[in-house]
Amino acid sequence: MLCDNCKERPASVIFTQEGMGGSTERHLCEKCAFQTQMFHFDPNQEPLSIQQFLSHWFGGSESIQPFQQTRESMPEGPTCPDCQLTFRKFLDIGKFGCPTCYETFREQLPRVFSKLHNGHTTHVGKMPESFNERFSLKKKIEEIRLKMQEAIEMERFEDAAALRDEAKALKDRLAECGNGGEGSDVNQ
Amino acid sequence: MSINKFMKGAVAGWMTSHGEHSDIVMSTRIRLARNLRGYRFPIAFTADEAQKVDAQVSAALLTSDEKGYAYMKMSELPALERHVLVEKHLVSPQLTDVKRHGAVILSEDETLSIMVNEEDHIRIQCIYPGFQLENAYEHADDVDNYLENELPYAFDEDFGYLTSCPSNTGTGMRASVMMHLPALTITKQIERIIPAITRLGMIVRGSYGEGSEAPGNIYQVSNQTTLGKTEGEILSDLKNVALRLIAHERRSRELLLSKSRIALENKLFRSLGIISYARLLPSGEAARCLSDVRLGIDLGIIEDVDMSILNELMIFMQPGFLQQYAGAELTAEERDIFRADLFRERLRSEQQIEENNNEN
Repeated sequence: MLCDNCKERPASVIFTQEGMGGSTERHLCEKCAFQTQMFHFDPNQEPLSIQQFLSHWFGGSESIQPFQQTRESMPEGPTCPDCQLTFRKFLDIGKFGCPTCYETFREQLPRVFSKLHNGHTTHVGKMPESFNERFSLKKKIEEIRLKMQEAIEMERFEDAAALRDEAKALKDRLAECGNGGEGSDVNQ
Repeated sequence: MSINKFMKGAVAGWMTSHGEHSDIVMSTRIRLARNLRGYRFPIAFTADEAQKVDAQVSAALLTSDEKGYAYMKMSELPALERHVLVEKHLVSPQLTDVKRHGAVILSEDETLSIMVNEEDHIRIQCIYPGFQLENAYEHADDVDNYLENELPYAFDEDFGYLTSCPSNTGTGMRASVMMHLPALTITKQIERIIPAITRLGMIVRGSYGEGSEAPGNIYQVSNQTTLGKTEGEILSDLKNVALRLIAHERRSRELLLSKSRIALENKLFRSLGIISYARLLPSGEAARCLSDVRLGIDLGIIEDVDMSILNELMIFMQPGFLQQYAGAELTAEERDIFRADLFRERLRSEQQIEENNNEN
């Protein structure tokens, strides 16, 4: 089979583009595949670099238009207030500029992470102890809230009042250790 | 300086041949990436921020109860010494760029190195000899627990530890094992195995460089995913893959031995001959011969040579070490001469030890 693009050299790379309208498959020679900048396959088996991987992010997923066009009309996306990185620039360089970037791009990130981490988007591993405590407190408060609702529905108002006090005490403790935790989380 | 004396000062803890499966797994490495809240990542920070990060991290570590930590600022080290730290895998090449305000804190036995202002503010790295994923992780985890009490980590409940590169977000952990896989390479099975392992979410690469070429038949296997799995799961997945590779390698070794013993012995002894007598030894040939000699030792074909020879000489044959040993800058050809000298002297010192033992 000849390369779909140059029709000269034999095709050696199957290039699959996943778009909103389904996936398209193109058979390219190595040279053309490289030039399209959407090169997914590296003959040296080198793992794909993050930049390569993210650089065709918009081209690959947001649109089925050719890469070049999408790129020019691509929005800058949100800008990080602390390091001035835009979401587009982040995809270009494949690196965050500061911890605040995560907050700035929070909505876009699950899709990025899902691609990089085998479908996963949420951390389940180790937590710093201070966060661990906050995390379990939050969970407890949520449980108490549910019990309180239940009590109110059953018209067990005394129980509900006791639960409310319990929740308040936990909230105070949460606010306390919030001072040692992350600032942006305190108002949640 | 005699080679023994030079090496005594230069051997890092992980280069000795100890630990489980140390005939195949040369070393185990755990790396944790951490950042401080309130400072931009090294890719975007100012010199002032860099200094503050450096001051905080080094102050926290150097005042800990742990004795024997050594602190080195990259900009204050001579180029050759930086080069040698890279060759010992104690710092990354990236850290040694003096414009980046990098520093490293090393434990006395060099199993622990903490890089400051590499791609992330903090990179805790533990290298252990042999196959010791749990021990290496425990060590790194201890240091991490200590630091999290001293310093404000950048952490998010959804995304975990926040890192400069999205491929490290979550646990920030990269666990890797360095494996000597000559039989899988000779039988070309490795070419089929690498893509299969890649599909399991692991990365396999040659340990001295990024390409697929593996000098000395040494491969590094590490986890790719850092988000959505606990540290324990990542470690046990990697452990399972490594154990399967070990079993494959052992089976291939037995097969080689039973099917073509003479051809194999011939190849391995020729390599021993080359490193014992060559006067010019380019690094590619040196790596290939070392791998052969080590395989010979593992199979009991070559006796009287210590198995640590592969771990050590793979490190010492690199340009930085050779120049330190020579005490001068060397051209590529001079390096080949010195490398040949070094190998001969090293093998001779093995024989002397052997003879002394026989006399006693």
